[in-house]
Amino acid sequence: MKVTGTTEPLEPKDVAISVRDLGKMFQLARDKRTSLKERLVRGRSAKHDDFWALRGVSFDVERGTTFGLIGHNGSGKSTLLKILAGVYRQTEGSIVADGRVSALLELGAGFHGDLTGRENIYLNASILGLSRRQIDEKIDEIIDFSGIGDFIDVPVKVYSSGMYVRLGFSIAVTVDPEILIVDEIIAVGDEEFQRKCFDHLYKLRQRGTTIVLVTHSLSLAAELCDQAIWLDHGVVKGIGDVRDVVDAYLGDVNANELARKPLEPEPLEVTGVPKSPRRGSGEVRVDELRILAGRAESDELVLADAPCTVRIEYTAKADVLAEFGLAFIHESGVTVAGPNTTAGKFGLIQLDAGSGVIEYHLDSLPLHPGQYTISAAIVAHGHIYDYLDRAFDLLVRAESTVQEPGMVTFAGTWRHNGVVVKTALDHGADVNADS
Amino acid sequence: MDEIHVKAGRPSPVRSDHPGDPWSYRNLIWTFAQREMKARFKGTALGWVWSLVIPIATLVIYSLVFSFIMRMSPPDFGNGKAGIYFVWLFCGLTAWSFFANSVNAGMSGLLGVGALLKKIYFPAYTPVVGTTIATGIQSSIELGVLVALLATFGNVGWTYLLVPVWAAIFFVFCTSIATIVSMYNVYFRDLAHIIGVGLQMLFYLTPIIYPVTFIPEHARGLPLRRLVELSPFSQFIELFRDLIYGLTPGGWKQWLYVLVITGIVASLAVVVVRRRGQDLGEEL
Repeated sequence: MKVTGTTEPLEPKDVAISVRDLGKMFQLARDKRTSLKERLVRGRSAKHDDFWALRGVSFDVERGTTFGLIGHNGSGKSTLLKILAGVYRQTEGSIVADGRVSALLELGAGFHGDLTGRENIYLNASILGLSRRQIDEKIDEIIDFSGIGDFIDVPVKVYSSGMYVRLGFSIAVTVDPEILIVDEIIAVGDEEFQRKCFDHLYKLRQRGTTIVLVTHSLSLAAELCDQAIWLDHGVVKGIGDVRDVVDAYLGDVNANELARKPLEPEPLEVTGVPKSPRRGSGEVRVDELRILAGRAESDELVLADAPCTVRIEYTAKADVLAEFGLAFIHESGVTVAGPNTTAGKFGLIQLDAGSGVIEYHLDSLPLHPGQYTISAAIVAHGHIYDYLDRAFDLLVRAESTVQEPGMVTFAGTWRHNGVVVKTALDHGADVNADS
Repeated sequence: MDEIHVKAGRPSPVRSDHPGDPWSYRNLIWTFAQREMKARFKGTALGWVWSLVIPIATLVIYSLVFSFIMRMSPPDFGNGKAGIYFVWLFCGLTAWSFFANSVNAGMSGLLGVGALLKKIYFPAYTPVVGTTIATGIQSSIELGVLVALLATFGNVGWTYLLVPVWAAIFFVFCTSIATIVSMYNVYFRDLAHIIGVGLQMLFYLTPIIYPVTFIPEHARGLPLRRLVELSPFSQFIELFRDLIYGLTPGGWKQWLYVLVITGIVASLAVVVVRRRGQDLGEEL
């Protein structure tokens, strides 16, 4: 993988933002002396813990590109964003921007509840550096874009949260920034407004606006950004093409989740003890259901697009004919698939008294990442021997972001003028093969 | 595709260590002033009338107490007529209330934009200066009423022309103090309470409700009157009364004194803005 901890310097003329060896230290006073009396009485020497929220961060953002910041909570993304916006000053290093920076951190934070929407537009836009004349020219566009209509002359304290956000976004994007810094904003507003935002961001990109964006939605990052940086505890873990960075980050998240799991008191298997009361006459019983994911046996996480086997161990009290069935149920309650031995032309299986094993194998698990439950049933001609409704958890994770909507991946291929189009899925497969 | 309108200019640091001069932020400062003015009496039935009701009520209370109960006698008008305590007091109170209000409004003004300052950079002194301007506009209405009142007693003179000069110096003085106090108040929140008490003490230590001649020359070996006179607040208020009530232009020493003091306080404010006002986004 091309993800490394350092940047290759780009051509200077293409760079809109250049960050070198950036560091930000906060002093975490153990007990903060904010009161004057304490300062006077106990002196200045409160115990400080130096905390480096960022250290040694270097990267360049090319003009006209969209740059994503990803990382878990507390990784330093927001601190970096605030330094980029000029709200914080760095402790060390340099940060140089070429062009007017407009920051959009937490929409509508600067609104004054008692003033009307129109008055707040003047206030916020002049903070963003517009003159009164410029605002006069833009104000209709801003009001129009926000879709607030007649409410514009009403104090903003009566606005709904959606209106608040829409007005804030409208102001920030209509001031025509050269460099736009955006903090996790797209997740707000209704569907229609979100689309408008995306359209507008797209237009800004077309015009050559450089955008720096923080988001927790990795698929959004992959969709919007060209390049990305992955921060972990204030240091750069990866930088480069957004897909590589996101994949590397996801790999790390998966590894962490796996590493954490064994600490839980419950048995390690996905499976094992059924959760819900079972039904059925009990001549045949499921003893255990295991999911064998591609690489190691008893992986609790199953990777999408990787081989997967569901193994049922059963005990029959007598010789019976039976049919086995499984159901894969998505967290939303939808049954995604329900394979069974009858539909597979397998027919009823002759079971001898004693225990046995039956397996259902998939070469490539077509489920998208998410939480699923599995039901298992052993039946015969409508008679239920054993039925375990949603008794087993199945956690599907991906090593790269899923580029398609929905719950399942079809094993289809695209052809363009007769030539097979290589898709992102193939790219993902390559990455897997490499590692 | 739209034309590419972004020009490669000169790369510059996102934040310079210089906070930027007030003139280049005049637009923002004015916006803060407007916001303060609009928000101050928003939602009240009387609106801006309150900005006159409050000082007049204060004036009536002090007049009742000091001219009827304490029987304070004021100096004569500049035109030679016998002085009226309530008019004389009005002069001092107008100047004082501008100072006290700008310090208090400056502190709450800066804390009020805290949420904003955390999200976007602008110099932290701009909301303070904005609120002082708003306070100044409110005080000029009072001043207008005062001038009208003095005119009805025929107490008008050429020294009125010096009032704008005095007002400009006093404005810089008050704004500087408001800025210093507001910035430190972010770091030490106790300051707001200390200032509350301090202002009250200062009010009685300044010849506002009494003439400076009321103070004994010496008390317990201290040249008490001299000390009170040396206070810049006394100087500003005395000078204002000279101009508007006594109709004398004031001595050049007095003018020099208030100018030098204002220069010192303003320089101090600049230092505080540079040293303390840059990282308020982290503190608020």
